[in-house]
Order: sequence, then C-alpha cells, then structure tokens
Amino acid sequence: MNATLVVTVAGLVSVGTYLVTARSLSRIILGFSMLGHGAVLALLSAGGPAGETPLADRSSPEEMSNPLPQALSLTAIVISFGLTLFLLALARRQNALSGDDLVEDDLEDRRVALLANEESPEPVSEDAA
Amino acid sequence: MIASDTTPSPAGRAVFGLAALPLAGLTVWATALLAGDGSATFSVTWVADLDLVIAFHIGPMAALLTVIVAGIGALVMVYSAGYFSKDAEGVVRFAVTLLAFGLAMIGLVWADSVWTLFLFWELTSITSFLLVGFRNRRAEARAAARRAFMITAAGGLALLAGLVILVDGTGTDSLQSLPQLEGSEAGIAAVLVMIAAATKSAQVPFHVWLPGAMAAPTPVSAYLHSATMVKAGVILVAITGPAFTDVAVWKNLGLALGGASMLWGAIGALRHVDGKQILAWGTVSQLGLMIVLLSLGEPKATFAALSIIVAHAAFKAALFMVVGEVDVRAGTRDIRELDGLARSMPIAFAVAAVSGASMAGVPPLLGFMAKEAAIEAGLKSKGFGAVAVTALIVVGSVLTAAYTLRFLIGMFGGRSDTPTEVSARRWPMTMPAVALTVLSLGGYVAAGTVTTLVTRAAGTLDPAAAEFALLRWPGFTVAFGLSAGIVVVGAALGLVLAREASSPPAAIGAGLVDRGIDEVVVTARRVTAQVQHGSLPVYLVVVMGVATLAVAPFWFAVDLDVLYRWDTPVQPILGLAVVVAAIVTARIDSRLGAALGLGGLGIGVAGLFATYGAPDLVITQLLVETVVVVGFVIGLGHLTRRFPWADRRWLVTRVVISVATGVSVAVALVASRSQPNGTPPREALVTEAVQTGGGNNVVNVILTDARGLDTLGEIVVLAVVAIGVVALGAAGGRRRIA
Amino acid sequence: MITPRSPIVALGVGVAAPPAVLVAIYLFFAGHNQPGGGFAAGLVLGALVALRAIAGRRAPATSTTLLWIGAGLAAGVAVLPVAFGDAVLDQRVVDVTVPLLGKVKSGTALVFDAGVAAIVVGLVMAVLDGLGISRIADPSPESETAAKVEGGS
Repeated sequence: MNATLVVTVAGLVSVGTYLVTARSLSRIILGFSMLGHGAVLALLSAGGPAGETPLADRSSPEEMSNPLPQALSLTAIVISFGLTLFLLALARRQNALSGDDLVEDDLEDRRVALLANEESPEPVSEDAA
Repeated sequence: MIASDTTPSPAGRAVFGLAALPLAGLTVWATALLAGDGSATFSVTWVADLDLVIAFHIGPMAALLTVIVAGIGALVMVYSAGYFSKDAEGVVRFAVTLLAFGLAMIGLVWADSVWTLFLFWELTSITSFLLVGFRNRRAEARAAARRAFMITAAGGLALLAGLVILVDGTGTDSLQSLPQLEGSEAGIAAVLVMIAAATKSAQVPFHVWLPGAMAAPTPVSAYLHSATMVKAGVILVAITGPAFTDVAVWKNLGLALGGASMLWGAIGALRHVDGKQILAWGTVSQLGLMIVLLSLGEPKATFAALSIIVAHAAFKAALFMVVGEVDVRAGTRDIRELDGLARSMPIAFAVAAVSGASMAGVPPLLGFMAKEAAIEAGLKSKGFGAVAVTALIVVGSVLTAAYTLRFLIGMFGGRSDTPTEVSARRWPMTMPAVALTVLSLGGYVAAGTVTTLVTRAAGTLDPAAAEFALLRWPGFTVAFGLSAGIVVVGAALGLVLAREASSPPAAIGAGLVDRGIDEVVVTARRVTAQVQHGSLPVYLVVVMGVATLAVAPFWFAVDLDVLYRWDTPVQPILGLAVVVAAIVTARIDSRLGAALGLGGLGIGVAGLFATYGAPDLVITQLLVETVVVVGFVIGLGHLTRRFPWADRRWLVTRVVISVATGVSVAVALVASRSQPNGTPPREALVTEAVQTGGGNNVVNVILTDARGLDTLGEIVVLAVVAIGVVALGAAGGRRRIA
Repeated sequence: MITPRSPIVALGVGVAAPPAVLVAIYLFFAGHNQPGGGFAAGLVLGALVALRAIAGRRAPATSTTLLWIGAGLAAGVAVLPVAFGDAVLDQRVVDVTVPLLGKVKSGTALVFDAGVAAIVVGLVMAVLDGLGISRIADPSPESETAAKVEGGS
C-alpha cells in the first residue's frame, strides 16, 4: 500500500473534518470537497499499486492498475460534485434569508432540551383522580 | 365510577358475541383433543435464514390449559357484553384487545420452542398493558399500566437471557424434551427464568403491579387473574422445570418467592376493603402456592399444582365476575359500604359462596380436592421440606379461608335496616359466573374425569405424576385432618376480622416503582437535553469522535509491512502540495482565495490520479474542479468577501477530533490491506469489458455496463441536485420560507 | 477593465467555443475505448455554457429541457431491453464508425452516455440559474427578476 497516498488521505480527512465542524456553510462546503478527495484517494490506494492505464488494447491485465477502484472513484467524484453544488445553493439561500451563511442551531432541538427543566414528566404518581 | 346508564349496550353484545366465537371453537377443539388423548403439531417458518420457526405443539398439558384459557375467555366475552353500558367508550377496541390477549396466552401454552414461548410471553405483556390502561383518560389507569408493563417487561428481558443460556447449554430450543441443564450457567439460567416467572405471576416482591392492575375493567381482572397473564409465570415454571430439577437454587428461590407471596398475599387480602383488591391479593397468595408446589419438582406436587391451576381458574374467574356485577349494580365494591346484598342479589351471593368455599378448600368442591392433594404433596416431600412446606401450605390456607369468609361477609352481609340499592339484573353478567360455579361443583362430582384430564397433563411434565388421583373422600388421613382444621381455624379468624373496618394500607411498593420510573424519564430528558444540543458542529464532533473510537480495534490489525513509500517520486511532491493546499484553504480568510485554494487542491489530486494511470479520473477531476470553482465564484459572490465570525472556543477540540479522524481513516485503510484478501480480478474485468461490453476502456465499460444501474442512479442524483438548486435559487431571493 | 460585458471576454468566448465543442465531441465518442465519456463531454459543454453565460449570452435550451432529454435517453436505454426479454440495461453491441476516430463504441452504450451528457449540461445550467449567474453577467434589477422567473419555471 502506497504510504504517500495514505498520509495524503489522512491530511485531507483531517483538514476536511476540521472544516465541516465550522459554523460557516461555505467552509463546510470546502470541507466536504476535501473529504470527497480523501475518499477517492483512499479507494485508489486500497485497490493496489499504480500501473498502466487500464485500456485493454494498450496494456496487459498484469501491468495495468486495478480498474475497479477507478470506476468506483468516478462515481464518487460525480456524487461529491453534485453534493458540492447543492450545498452552494443552500449557502446562497441561507445568505438570502439571514444575510450570512452561518449554520444556526436547530430550534426544535433546543426546545427538546428545555423539556428537561420540567420537574416531572407526567403527573401519574400524584394525580390518582 | 360506572356509567350512569345501566342498560347494557346492544352493539357491545354483538361485538363480544363475535369475539367469543373463536374462543368457544378453540375450547371445543382442545377438549376433544384432550379427551382423545391426542396431540397436534404445526409450525410457521418466520425467518428461514435464521432457522426461526414459530413452532406449536399441543400435547395434553397445552390442551388442558387451552380449555381453561379459551373457555374462560369465551365466558369473559359474554360477561363483558353485560358489563359495558350503552354509553361506554371503546367497546370494540376493548373486545379486540381482550381477544388478542387471550390468543397470545393460547400461543404461549402452545409454544414448542423457547423462542415462540418468548414471543407470546411478550405479546401477553403488551396486550395486558393495553387492557390495564384501557381507561386511558384516568391517570391512575395509565400509571398502573405503565407499572405493570415495566415490571413484566423487565421480567421478559430476564427470561430472554435465561432462555439463551438454556438453549446454549442444552443445545435444543424445543420445549418438548428439555434435557437437564448442568454446569455453572445452570444456576444463572434458573435464577433468570424464576425471576421472569415471578414478575409475571406477581410474586413478592414483584407483586406490586397486580393490585394496581385493578384499574382495568373487571372482565380483564377476571381473565387476567384466573386463566391468563399471572398463570403464564406458573406455566413457565412448570415447563422449564424439568431442565432445572437438579439445580438447588431453582428450588430454593421458587420456595422462597412462592412462600413469601403465599403469606404476604393472604395478609394483604385481609387488610384491604375493596372487593377487587381482596381478590387480587388472594391471587398473589394462590400463585405463591402453585410456585411452591412446582418448584418442589416432585410428581405429587406437580399433580397438585395442576389441579390447583384448574380449580383456581374456575373459582377466581367466578368471584371476579361477581364483584364486577356488584360494582355495576350497587355502584361500589367497598365492603364498608355494601350492605344486605345477599338478599337483593341472591344468585350472585350463591355463586360467591360456592366459589369462595372452593377457594377456602371446603368439600364438596373442586378446590377442596386440589388443596387436599397439595397438603398430601407437602407431607410427602423429602427431608426438611416436608415439615416446612406443609407448615407453609397450612398457614397459607388458614389465611385463605379467613379472607374468603371476610370477603363474603363484607360483600353480602347485612348490617343495618337500609340495604344498598341495586339496579336491575344483567343476565350476561350472571350466567358465566353461574356456569363456572357449576364447574366447581361438577368437578367434585366427576372427580374421575377431572383426574384423567389432569393426570394426562401432569404426565407430560413428569411421567410419575400420572399415577395420582383427586379423591372425593380421602378418608380420615392426616391431610384431611389438617384440611378440616384449616377450615375451622380460618373461619374463626375470618369472623373476627370480618368487621374490622380498617382503612386500606398505602401502596408503598407501587409508589416506589412509580417514582423509580419517573426518575428514569426525568434523567432521560436531562441526558437528551445534553446530547440533543441543536448545534451542527457539536453533532459532527460527536459523530467523528465516536467513529474514531469505533475504528480503535483496527489499530491492532495494522501490518506496516504492506506499506511502500511511493510508486513514482512525483507522488510525495503532489501529496505534499495537496495537503499544503488543504491547510491554506482552511486558514485563508478570503472566500475567493478559499475557492481558488480548493481548485488548486483539486488539480493536485488530479495529478495524483495521473500517476495512478487513471486518465479518466484526471479528465473528470479537472472538469469538475473547474465547474465547482466557477460555482463558488458565482454562488458566493453575494456573500461578504471574508468569512464571518469564526468560533474560536472549540478550536482545540475541533483540531484534536479532526486529526484523530484523519489518523483513524489512515489506520483503517492500512488495516484493510493488512489481511490477505486475494488479488484484483483484472483479467476477468478486462475480458468482460472487451467481450461483453465491446470496449477497450475498462473503467468506462464497468461504469456503463457492469455498474450501469449505479450510473443510472448517479445521474438521477444529478438531476435531483439540478432541480434542488433551481428551486433553492428561485425561492432564495424572496425572503420567504415555504 | 475586463468586465463580463467587455469585448475581450466576448471575443475570448467566441474563440474558445469551437475547440471546446470539438473536444466534447471527441471525449464523447472516445469514451468506450479511450479515456473520456459522456460525463466528461457533458462537463466540457457545461463549462462552455458557463463561459457564455458570463459573457451574457443565453443558452440555446433551458436546463429543464436538457434534464428531461437526458433522463429520457438514459432511462429509455435502460428499460428498452426488457421489451425484448433481456435484463435491464442489457447492451446491444453495434459498431459505429466515426470519421477520424474509426470504429467507436457500441450502440446502446452511446445513447446511454448521451443521456449522461445531457443531464450534466442541464445540471450546470441549473446551477448557473440557481446561483444567479445573470446578476454577474448583467447586474441590472430587471434581469434578476427575469432570472428568477426562468429559474422558477
């Protein structure tokens, strides 16, 4: 397994994770892109060592690099492309609504949290009427 | 407390009649099966891959119990038709749930595999929860239902654990031929199964749910106490008993729980003033007796226990039906308020008197013969047990006779010249109780037939138990002497305590359980409030942190020998460039700069693809990167040039978690290659691509041919993204959330 | 100064367009035997459309139309074999000869790839609409409204 690629993957995933935990949606998009790159490189490195281009008429099966991870990677690239574009549209809409692109706290979740302040869940044990 | 309109509902009658039909049919079928000494076996495959089969086997034991469960079920349905008034709500819901409850119980007695047993065990817990909480607008009923469910469901968990150990130890999940369980795990399994039985059969200290279950309509109480639910625990002890006969803790725990329940239940019955409560506590006591007898594991005791199950089903159902009738017609069931009902409700009184006598063990009734057998069993038990068990049974029976008399006098006795007013008779309520009373009498007359049926059933549990008989007249034996003494002493005690108009004891145990459950709910909410923070970054940090921990085992699978430095020396340069670009992109303040940084990073990644012999990836990556950068520039063009407000509080946490995540992914990656997992099927892929796909570019042929459906899904995703982007863009400018 | 409306941009777009289209066509047909394919071809065309949009030129078709065409082609090729009793997405290998490239890919995969390409171009156009390219190309308020209406249709 290619150590260089593994280190690169680690670096991309680290920075990507750092960015997706940010408040600004555009930074989250950058982070997602990096995680996508990391995933594709991880797929390639897991598929074995590098080789010739997998073209059946140019190189023999023994010399070529594993074509399967490449096919999977193409799909991965396309899907992260779509995701990035969608997130961009979300960021733009968030900006139109609130003037910035910060991810706000979920109000419903905050409301759930407030329930904890109520003393008793339901007055079953006291009210026997 | 009961609806003011006292005429029964005609619609209700139709529903209950309909519900009684399948139960009546099952009764007839099971009676025929038992009379013919036959058996039936059938099964339904549930999950074939797991060998999970819902298996039923109806031998004599199951047939006898089916007669009880289905027969009393049918009678209870008839009774319900009279119980509910015209304006009662949810009659159909009640009938359906009650029928489901009865069928679940029948499934439980039919079960041939431990898993089927467990399934129906839980079903009875769930349906009884619905029945106890039937009057769901009353806080009292809801609390009682919750308490009953929590206790029996906890028992269900114990049962599951116990059964898993049992199956693991014996190697079979069939209940027909349970081998002896040996070894250290036998004790654990015995304790778990016994606890499960104790929760279901309301044994001390798990009995606290049963008195509360009185919040249910009376038909439920009559059914739950006589034939179903609480008998499930007893049946469990009966059918799993053969696996534990040599396990000391099984016997000792059973004797301790059963004995404590016998005495404490009877004492409870003597202290309460609500007719239903008296009977409920009496049930705790009677079940204790059954558990004591069954855990002795001796043939005579097993026979006696089954006889008591039969007798108890008949008299307890009848007694509950009478209390329900009194409740409906007189408006109360408090023995301090009822007066002179023996005269105004003669049939109910007769039923109660005969059934009560059967409960107290007075001849000539079924209950007498059963109790006689129990005392005999106690006397014949081995060693130290003979004295202790006999003493226990005698004391318990004295108390039983006492609370029976107190109950009869309290409910029906006359105290003044102004008897309680009662409304018109409801025949559907009267007749089932009469029928059951006739059984208590008839069982005595036809002692031979009853003996045949009970010995057949007992024979399935213990072949040696088949030789005993129920005797109408045992002669002047020690047991008979004890029986007579019990009735006399008990009656005297009952007379003394009958007019003791004490106020009922507080339900301390139930209160404790309720407070415990409340505390759990409150704690759960506090935890939720802490975890359900509402902040996306916090969630992500938690998710990544957990993922990092989940990867931890991979650290041990890493074999560094599979690593090599690089394929070409260009790779480290490109890799370094990519990581540096990533860090710069993360640190940069300007949005445009970040977008360009991301573009540069993408070009570096494309370079790495090139070193891997992946030109398709290079082309795609470069084009994608171009479009994404254009998208960033246009899309974020409206935003401020610089990133707003960066939250520095979490910085250290974020950095730590991020690095941990990156390292974990790398470790998982190396670990995945550290195990030998074959070579890539390049040859096959190439052949397939050229011959089937008709193309030389193996990667693209895989995409359009072998993984064509994936690619189709992929473009659907793109189309959805396109629609989403257009929709978000269209809505975005109007400051409207639709 | 180079603004979106400047003649330099217009000229650049004009010069870049024909080669870009050629590259796209090459990638599209090469895909089965050489690197390339419908997705790459679609992205090249999409980039061209984006460039034209920045220069203020309208695309010849709306994104919705292209999405429909693409989805129809791909789904049609996927489902059609079922009518002949074959599995979904079963391929019919028909050699197609194209001048300069020679023998290229098989018949039905070509149609499938055309669907992919159409969807990718449609996606890029949708993104341009959705992210508000018209404001960059023409920052007047009227065109913004126009873009909104178009985007919402």
